Parts: sequence; structure tokens; C-alpha cells
Amino acid sequence: MEVETNRSQLVAALARVAGGDRAALKIVYQDTSAKLFGVCVRILNDKSEAEDVLQEVYLTVWRKAASFDPARASPITWLVAIARNRSIDRLRAVAGGRRMDPIDAAEEVRDPAPAAVELVEAAQQSSRLGLCLEQLESRQSVAIRSAFLEGNTYEELAERMKVPLGTMKSWIRRGLLKLRDCLER
Amino acid sequence: MTDDRTIIPEEGDKLVAAEYVLGVLGAADRRQAQQRLAHDQAFANEVAFWEERLGGLADAVAPVAPPDRAWTRLARAIRLRDPSTARESLWQSLAFWRSFAIGSAALAAASIGALTFIAISPVSRPPLLATLGASSGQPNFVAAVNAGGTSLMIVPAALLTSDQRAMELWLIPAGDKPHSLGLIEPGRPVRLDVPRDLVARITADAALAVSMEPPGGSPTGQPTGPVIASGKLTSL
Repeated sequence: MEVETNRSQLVAALARVAGGDRAALKIVYQDTSAKLFGVCVRILNDKSEAEDVLQEVYLTVWRKAASFDPARASPITWLVAIARNRSIDRLRAVAGGRRMDPIDAAEEVRDPAPAAVELVEAAQQSSRLGLCLEQLESRQSVAIRSAFLEGNTYEELAERMKVPLGTMKSWIRRGLLKLRDCLER
Repeated sequence: MTDDRTIIPEEGDKLVAAEYVLGVLGAADRRQAQQRLAHDQAFANEVAFWEERLGGLADAVAPVAPPDRAWTRLARAIRLRDPSTARESLWQSLAFWRSFAIGSAALAAASIGALTFIAISPVSRPPLLATLGASSGQPNFVAAVNAGGTSLMIVPAALLTSDQRAMELWLIPAGDKPHSLGLIEPGRPVRLDVPRDLVARITADAALAVSMEPPGGSPTGQPTGPVIASGKLTSL
């Protein structure tokens, strides 16, 4: 219920931002900046880069709020998509020299933030996405999660999980197809 | 060996949207997907599907409070971008029309934005308007020069790339070399003051062009990168 209230408040604030209301942008910022900054930091692994990108993210929100369609997307999903896209664009622009810790698929998702993974697994258990991810082979869901959370390319994932590029592409593509079938059901 | 071939091409094409959302595409494929997003509605729908469905994965990300200065900086940037409270009505109308700035409506919206700019200018000599197109014919910007020739507004009409290079606007008087009018941005209307020595040269037989330049603009004073859009000025 609280989630629903937050959601409708955020939708209302975004509608006001679309009309050029700076006070409404502050509301959106206060409600969402920690989440979006977390997303940027996770992908960029550099707080000062992430701060720059966060600025771009909210400038984009300021300019594009009118294109947000509450009938098609939840506001937080829309905002997270902007934050991820901006972060990944930045990552690709400065390609090279980024952190590349290996991922050991056999060990399950030994993700850099294991507590968070457990948290999300708990939260997602009842959600459609969680159920569908569970139906994938664990290496597929590990690769898909890492890609989403850290913005890794196929090449980077192949290197991190120590498999040939073709194998990685095949894992992810098959995983996505299965996921699509499951999510549409 | 890869078993990609077991994925039929049609599915492979559909998967590009998912791969884009997931973030696994390299820089070039990613740019291509972003360009496609601007004009391929079916592709855009597919991207929206995945953004909504995969969005829940972000629940795993722990929130991190940004430093306080981040908001201060943002608020300042927005005040700078806002063409002053005196022109509040212009700003509001641009914000309004931007909501239609997708697909084919984009050019009309940009034109209206540009015309709004002209409408608020005092009349002394006819205002000028230019549609700046790419070589493909795709219109990318609409520019309007106020009646005095002292200031111009350039409004993006298409979703351009996320290219990190700067975009520089040039005035090319008939039979002369390009003169820089300043840097512009692909995502928002920009108002530029015309350098005083160019005011008299910004006439109906001149052209405007946009080139891609290193950050900060052309180091040589002449366009050094590709021209992505150009168009002739016409009198209204």
C-alpha cells in the first residue's frame, strides 16, 4: 500500500516536472536520488563519475518528464532505465581500465554485494521476474544479473566467467528467450 | 563453437532490444540500437517491454545517498538552462511542445518552439528560419534568428546520438568560410547570442551547419569533424 502511495506521488510529481515545476523536481530527486545514485555507482564503480552521471540523469528527467507515460511504465522503472542508460553510455565512452573481477558461476552469484542479492531474492520470490529467473540455469541467471547490475558487455562477461564469447552469447540469448516466454505467460 | 544458429533470425532481431536493455552490447551496437529506437516503434515497444520486466533486478542495488552538493549543482544547472523568468511563457511552451518531440511530430514541435522564439522578438527586420537536415534528408534541428539578427534559438528536432563529442553551430555567409556561433546541445533548445561582427552577415542567403567537434569546440576555428546537419536561412 505504501508502495502504491509512493508510486502515485511520484507520477504526480513527474507530471508537474513536465510542466517546468522545479519544486516538483526536488521532490522526485529527494525520493529517488539515493536509489539512482546506487545504480550509477554500481555500474561505474566510481563515485565521482557517478555524481556527474547523476546530474545528467536528472537533467534528462527535467527535459523528458513529458515523455513518461504512467500507463506504460512505473515511474521508478523509468527513472532506473535513464540512470542505467546514462551510466552504460558513460562506461562505453571511457571503455578500458574498468574493474573486472572474475565471477565464479559454480559458486552461485558471489556478487560483490551478496547481502543485496539475498535481499532481492527474497523480495523477488513472489514476483514474476523472480520466478522466471529461477527457471533458468544458474549460470544463465548469474550472467543476466551481472549484465544488468554492472553493465558488462558480452566480452567482459565472457572474460569474467572464463568462458568463450560464443558460449556467453548463447547463455544470455537463450536465457532471455526463456525469460520472455515465462514473463509473457 | 557457438549454438547461436539454433536461434532463428527473427528471434535474434527481437533479442537486440533485450540485449540493449540488459546492457551487453558494445559501444557501436549500442549506438545503433539507440538510433533505431528513435524511429522504429516496434523496436521501441520491445525495449519498453524489457525495461519494465527487467527493471525489478535493480531492487538488488543498495541505495547510496549522493553528496549534498549534487543537488546544489543540479539546481544551479537548471536555473542556468531556464531562459530566465522573464521568458517564463516561452520556456513553458517549449517544455510543453517537447512532450510531442517523438517521431514525426518532432519537427513540427521544434518549428513551433522556434516560431515562439520569433514571436516574442521585437520586429525591425524580418526574422529568419532554417531547417537543418542531415544528408539523408532527416531534419535534425530548426533554427530561428530574431528580427534584429542578434540572437538565435536552435531547437533539436530529432533524437540524436549520445555521442560524447560537442556539437558546434556555424554560420556560413554566401561565398565565405564558416564562422562559429557557439556550442549547442542535441537534447534541448539553446539560445545563442550572435557575435556582434556576424550580426550583419546573418542574412537570407547564408546557411547554418552543425558539426561534431572535440569537447569544448573546434580547436582550429573551423569545422574539424563531420557536418551532421545544415540548411539555408530563409526569410519569414
